[in-house]
Amino acid sequence: MELSKSVRQFLLETGDIARFMGRFFHQLIKPRNEYAEFFRQCYVIGYNSLALVGLTGFIMGLVLTLQLRPSLLRYGVESQLPAMVGIAIVREIGPVITALIFAGKIGSSIGAEIGSMKVTEQIDAMEVSGTNPFKYLVVTRVLAATFMLPVLVLLSDAISLYGSWLGINIKGVTSFDLFFSQVFNNLAFGDVLPAFIKTFFFGFAVGIIGCYKGYYSNKGTEGVGRSANSAVVVSSVLVFIIDLVVVQITDLMGLN
Amino acid sequence: MKNNSVNNLKLGIFVASGLLFLIILLYMIGKNRNLFGATFVLRTRFDNTYGLMPGNNVRFSGIQVGTVKRINIISDTVIEVEMIIDEKMLKYIHKNAVTEIGTDGLVGSKIVNISPSREPAPLVRENDILIRGKQVDTQEMLRTLSKTNSTIAFVADELKTTAIHINHSRALWRVLDDSILPDNLRRSASNIRLATAKAYDMVNDLDQIVNSVKNGKGSLGSLLVDSTFSEKLNEAVVKINNLGDSANELAAMLNMTARDVKKEINSGKGTLNYLLKDSSSVMKLQSTLTNIEKGTEAFNQNMEALKHNFLFRGYFRKQEKKMARDSTKANLSRTP
Repeated sequence: MELSKSVRQFLLETGDIARFMGRFFHQLIKPRNEYAEFFRQCYVIGYNSLALVGLTGFIMGLVLTLQLRPSLLRYGVESQLPAMVGIAIVREIGPVITALIFAGKIGSSIGAEIGSMKVTEQIDAMEVSGTNPFKYLVVTRVLAATFMLPVLVLLSDAISLYGSWLGINIKGVTSFDLFFSQVFNNLAFGDVLPAFIKTFFFGFAVGIIGCYKGYYSNKGTEGVGRSANSAVVVSSVLVFIIDLVVVQITDLMGLN
Repeated sequence: MKNNSVNNLKLGIFVASGLLFLIILLYMIGKNRNLFGATFVLRTRFDNTYGLMPGNNVRFSGIQVGTVKRINIISDTVIEVEMIIDEKMLKYIHKNAVTEIGTDGLVGSKIVNISPSREPAPLVRENDILIRGKQVDTQEMLRTLSKTNSTIAFVADELKTTAIHINHSRALWRVLDDSILPDNLRRSASNIRLATAKAYDMVNDLDQIVNSVKNGKGSLGSLLVDSTFSEKLNEAVVKINNLGDSANELAAMLNMTARDVKKEINSGKGTLNYLLKDSSSVMKLQSTLTNIEKGTEAFNQNMEALKHNFLFRGYFRKQEKKMARDSTKANLSRTP
């Protein structure tokens, strides 16, 4: 009975999120777009996350290189290290790690912000004053998250590759030119494009979950905390689920 | 409002740098795949592509010049590989260039190598089919290596047996351990050296003799070289020939005589016939001969008696002395 209740709860929430997404798309095509708020959110969500994402990306590139090096050295293919690290970062590590950091930082902040607005009834007040709160709060944030995460991932990839080059130069000597050409010679469109496209879905998932959790936050400060927390958890899980689906689709399309 | 524009500027830089990286990424990949810039298509045919895939690199003398565009199966033994080549290479690749499928490194991805040929030929044009060269297949290499290995193992085994045989051979070790043998060998060697020196001298002498014979010195030389000697020899031969003729005549005469005798014998006439055929005359002859024998015996006795007779004894003694003197004279003259 307990199980069926939780299953029912899960299905209910899934349906609610689907409806919320439908509402988002409905509101998206309605006129009167809040451009100023969209750019402000882009700045807050994208630019302000760069330092964190850049740091994690740099460390990931460096650590991945140092971790892979002994194994490759054992097989005598140390020269393939740039190619391997490049493909790993561009295809998987860059998008997923950045999306997880993004979910932790932006998902929680959106959930908490909108949740606290809901709790303090600012959303109701906004509606009374004639502003469309969904359009102003949700659409701008979800769009900003959708479009900023790919940019963050690209920059994170670049910083990761730089970190990887430094990592190679800790133990050996490789010129940046050689590293650069080795990385790009081994990359194909099939590596870059699916990875780039899936980051839009990651960003959208993080934005929409954060907004949903905040928009339907329970009353009280406890509800705000819970909505922020569950926004992070659900969006992180969703990132992995989307990753799984995307890898299946790219496999079917023969891009792997 | 001022703060807002600064934020927008930062956002602009952020987004622009992200997109710039994306563009660089895509451009670099596209450049490697020859999507930008002018290209042309070359074809080549193989019977086995060894896992070559579209997108694999094409190298001309080791330089990256393009990629594999498509792989078409023409028949079960002919596979056509379509390659996109940078148009700048059009003036370097000749029609008789040779293609082969190689590996990037020992275990890397497959590549198509185009190697120039030494013979002159016109430059390639779009859609030309290049000839394929001999394939260097890792499988083939390993197979050969395994064959070589087994041969080496066999040889090593045989060597081992030989070494064991050598190690267990007492005679060989005795020879090796013998301390006198080297001295003997050295002595033999010096003997051989002396012998060869003598042989050399001998050959020299022979050479001299041959030389002098050639120059007509000595009897052999004159025999071979002197013309007067040969004339004399010729005369002698002619004389011998004449002698032979006379002998022939003599033989003919003898023959005639013998024929006469034979005729006489057969006809029962003549002295010889009488001698041969008449048995009474034979008896007479025999008694005559016995009489003569008796007569000579009696005569011998008479002579012996005469020797001892005082009248003749002096003569006989004189005769003996003369004989002794003659013999001593002859001895003296023989030893000067």
